Amino acid sequence: MNADDENGTAGEPGPDQDAFADALLEEELRQAAAVLDPVPAELVQTVLDAFVLHDLDARLAELTFDSVVDALPVRGVVDAPRMLTFRSGEVTVDVEVTGDGLIGQVLPPQSVRIEVLGGPGAARPVTADTLGRFTSDTPPAGPFALRLRTGAEVIVTEWLRA
Amino acid sequence: MRSGTLHSTAYDDVPYTRGGAVDRTEVGALVQSAVDGDAAAWKALVEGMSPLVWSVVRAHRLSDADGHEVFQTVWFRFAQHLGRIREPDKAGAWLASTARHECLKVLRGLARLTPTDDPRVLDRPSEDRTPEETLIDSEDAADRAERVRRLWQELDGLGERCRQLLRVLMASPPPSYGEISAALGIAVGSIGPLRQRCLRRLRARMDARGAV
Repeated sequence: MNADDENGTAGEPGPDQDAFADALLEEELRQAAAVLDPVPAELVQTVLDAFVLHDLDARLAELTFDSVVDALPVRGVVDAPRMLTFRSGEVTVDVEVTGDGLIGQVLPPQSVRIEVLGGPGAARPVTADTLGRFTSDTPPAGPFALRLRTGAEVIVTEWLRA
Repeated sequence: MRSGTLHSTAYDDVPYTRGGAVDRTEVGALVQSAVDGDAAAWKALVEGMSPLVWSVVRAHRLSDADGHEVFQTVWFRFAQHLGRIREPDKAGAWLASTARHECLKVLRGLARLTPTDDPRVLDRPSEDRTPEETLIDSEDAADRAERVRRLWQELDGLGERCRQLLRVLMASPPPSYGEISAALGIAVGSIGPLRQRCLRRLRARMDARGAV
C-alpha cells in the first residue's frame, strides 16, 4: 500500500489531496500576481532610495492626532482641512493642511527652522517666525514629513500622506 | 508512510512555518543590519517585503495614484522607524499593519469628500496591460496565460472577504499568518479556515467554467 492508496486516490479526494490542491492553487495565484500585478519597478526604486531617510540623529515626532481618524465628521462640511498633531517629548507640532498649503505652530513657542520633506532628497524650507508659527503656500504632493531644527536638536515628524 | 504527501493540516496547525524566499527568521537580522547602515540589508528588506505591502494596497482596491502614495508612505515611515521597531523579526507584520491603516485612512478620506460614492467603484485599478502580460500573449503558453487571466477574473466574483484574503495570501514570498492578520485585521486563528474556504470556492468556480 503506498501513500496515495492510503489517502484514497481511487474514491473521494482525501483531505491530503484537497490540501495539496489548495496549496497548488495558492501557488498558481502567486505566479499570477507576479505577472499581472507586480510591484511597479519605479516604486521599488523610490523606496530603495529612501534608506537615506533613516536618520538616527533626529528625534521622531509621532502622530498623535489626525482629523481623518480622530475627528467627528461635521455634517455639510466636505472639505474640512486636515488637522494633524505630532509630539516628541515636550515638543508639539500642530499642522493644518489645506489645498493652499500648510499652516502650523510649534509648541512651546520657540524659534525653529523648518523644512517640508517630500521624499528622498526633497526638502523645501518654510517660513517660520520666532514663536514657531509657520506657513507654506505649497500643498504637499504625496507623502511628506516636517524637519524641525531647534537650537539643540533635530525633530522629524512621522511620514504621512497628505 | 506519509512522507512525500502534504500534511492535510499543515496550514491550519502551524501557520508560522509559512514564509519563503526571504526567510522570515532573517528579517530581524536584516533590520538590525539596516539600522547599522547596511544598504544591502535595506535592499533585501525592500525587495523581500514590497510584494506584501503592495498586496495590502491592492487588497484595499486603492486607485493607482493613492496606492503608490500609500506604498511610499509605508516605506518612508519604516525607514524612519528602523531601530525603533520593538520586534524587528516581525517587521513584515509592522509593514502590513501600517499599510492597512494608511489604506483605511485613504478610504475614509474619500468617503468624506464624496459621501455618496463608493471609492472602490470610482477607483478601479488600471486595466492597462503590463509588459509581462503582453509577453505572455506572444508566447506559446497561451493556454496557461488564459487560465491565469480567468483565475484573476474569478477573484472578483468571490466576495470581498475572499478577494482580500487571497490577494494578500498570494504575495511573494508567502506571508506568514501573523502578517496576513496585520494586513487585514482578522484573527490569526480564522485565516486557515477562511483560506481553505476561499481557495475551494475559487476552484469550484474555475471548474464550473470548464477551465483546464
